[in-house]
Amino acid sequence: MAKQLIISISREYGSGGHKVAQELATRLGLPIYDRNLLDAVAAEKDLTGTGLKKYDEAPRNLLLSRSVRGYSNSPEEITARMQFDFLKEKAESGESFVVVGRCSEDVLKAYDGLMSFFIIADEEAKLKRVQESRGVSAEEAEMIIRRHDKKRKSYHNYYCQTKWGDARNYDMTINCSRLGLEATTDMIENYVKAVQAKEQ
Amino acid sequence: MAAQILALAIFIAMFVLIVIDKIERQYITLGCGLLTLVLVFGICMHDVNAIVETLNYKTIFTPEFWGFGAEAAAESTAGINWATIIFIAGMMVMVEGMARVGFFRWLCMLIAKMVHYKTIPIFITFMAMSFVLAMFIDSITVILFLAAVTVELAHLLKFNPVPMILSEIFCANLGGSATVCGDPPNIIIGTSLGLSFFDFLKNTGVMALICLVVTIIYFYIVYHKQLKQTTGEPVKAEDLPDPKEAITDKRGFVFSCIIFLLAVVLLVTHAQTGLTVAFIGVLIAVLTLITSGKAIGSVIKKVDYKTLLFFIGLFIVVGGLEQTGILQIVANFIGKVSGGNAMVMVAIIIWGSAIASAFIDNIPFAATMVPIISDLAGTTAGVDLHTLAWSLSMGTDIGGSATPIGASANVVGTSVAAKEGHPVGWGEYCAKVAPATILVLIICTVWIFVRYL
Repeated sequence: MAKQLIISISREYGSGGHKVAQELATRLGLPIYDRNLLDAVAAEKDLTGTGLKKYDEAPRNLLLSRSVRGYSNSPEEITARMQFDFLKEKAESGESFVVVGRCSEDVLKAYDGLMSFFIIADEEAKLKRVQESRGVSAEEAEMIIRRHDKKRKSYHNYYCQTKWGDARNYDMTINCSRLGLEATTDMIENYVKAVQAKEQ
Repeated sequence: MAAQILALAIFIAMFVLIVIDKIERQYITLGCGLLTLVLVFGICMHDVNAIVETLNYKTIFTPEFWGFGAEAAAESTAGINWATIIFIAGMMVMVEGMARVGFFRWLCMLIAKMVHYKTIPIFITFMAMSFVLAMFIDSITVILFLAAVTVELAHLLKFNPVPMILSEIFCANLGGSATVCGDPPNIIIGTSLGLSFFDFLKNTGVMALICLVVTIIYFYIVYHKQLKQTTGEPVKAEDLPDPKEAITDKRGFVFSCIIFLLAVVLLVTHAQTGLTVAFIGVLIAVLTLITSGKAIGSVIKKVDYKTLLFFIGLFIVVGGLEQTGILQIVANFIGKVSGGNAMVMVAIIIWGSAIASAFIDNIPFAATMVPIISDLAGTTAGVDLHTLAWSLSMGTDIGGSATPIGASANVVGTSVAAKEGHPVGWGEYCAKVAPATILVLIICTVWIFVRYL
């Protein structure tokens, strides 16, 4: 039986990290968990409601929520914890997969099969990608990037002891503007295969 | 002056840390309590008596504390209210025993079966059940089980559980206001001021019952259309779970029912028997543990010690405010603002408590306010302490319903709903529940004005 492989891709907004993750999943024939993670959680737990989606990858609002006897009424926290539990269950079952964000490099750090990557990009490249994908001006794109990165950072740093984007928490932190998305994917794939070969 | 500033700073820091929620709240109150003892009483005041009075441990060793003295004395309003802590601990043990044998799930399922699993009758009976259970059992436990069964029934009968859960939360908070043992603020008020079960029942209980009728009508009008909508084909009634399946230990179930009934009887008659709530708490805890058999370990383990420690620390910090005279200043301020007018004073207490409890934990608020209303009644002619006590009780208990964070039951209920994929935002919660809160508070204010002033 092949050794478990879990690839965690964290990314700055607009860096193209998500595309890298998708391409890696395709090349390695692995399922990918990203925005679809909540659908997977809902399907597995047979949830009747679908209202949690808007709270995906969001930090808890401390002033508008409280915890009592381990029950938090923050939809953001409930969503996050459900996703973390789901990822841990998958990892525990021995499944190999690619996961985008969701504090996965921290949540799954106990598993030997985990390899984690933080994808960044030059400011211009991120602006260009966001302008193209969302059809907005450069100023708007800049605001969107800043807002999303701030949200991701506070989301990550609320749930994890480690800091978002700190190179010490990842196998690699890569600026994909240098090589482009294709070659960045190649590099990660080669790294993954090299590590796997060494461990076999 | 330095002691006052320090006591106030510790109190504010405690509240801020509770809101930030990064450190478990029992560590916050215990840490702040320790700072109060060392810095305020020790270093600033050099007052050993203040420490002894605030720790209040001597009262536990008096016969009066257990109801065997010449007369059952009220707890001092200063320092740790051990009667509250011991009673809550006893109730926790009993409730854990009841939960272990499946009592709550059985009761919910039985009532759902009795109304033939029809959504609107379930909605109404669950509101009434939430109210009645919360009169004797902490509202967190009531909502934990009711919301869980509501979600299960919603799943089977294909309706949206949120309207039912929000209504149950409101009724649990309302039921808690009806008796001395219903909600922690009432236990604090009752034990501090020497008020009995019947004192509460005849006063806040009557108000709560009137408000329950209004509440059921209100929530029916607001939610009946939404509840009639189904999201799929409901499971047939004969395929629904049998209530008996909920019982995990038949012998334990019988014992639990007897102990619960005994607790109710003892609480109802405690003014006549002279037994204090502390004694009742210890007795039912001991009986629960004796009858738990091999499960005794798991029952003890599940008791929420964190909440008990939270209370101990909290009472010390509030004791700091009292010993340094801060609460006297607040009482004087309220007295001045109201100009000695009882109506204005009642209005300030009931609405001020309600607004504060809607946003901050109502337990520390009530613990802080009890010495204040004692001071107010003592220094203002024509103002009855009991009237202020009922105002404080209704304000804190009902006000907590207004927002998703106001009371513990709200947090637990909305958490259960969210875990089922039905997050309840502030907008949705407040749009439906805040008007009910205001309506009930208006009824209570008018009732207090007419009946007592």
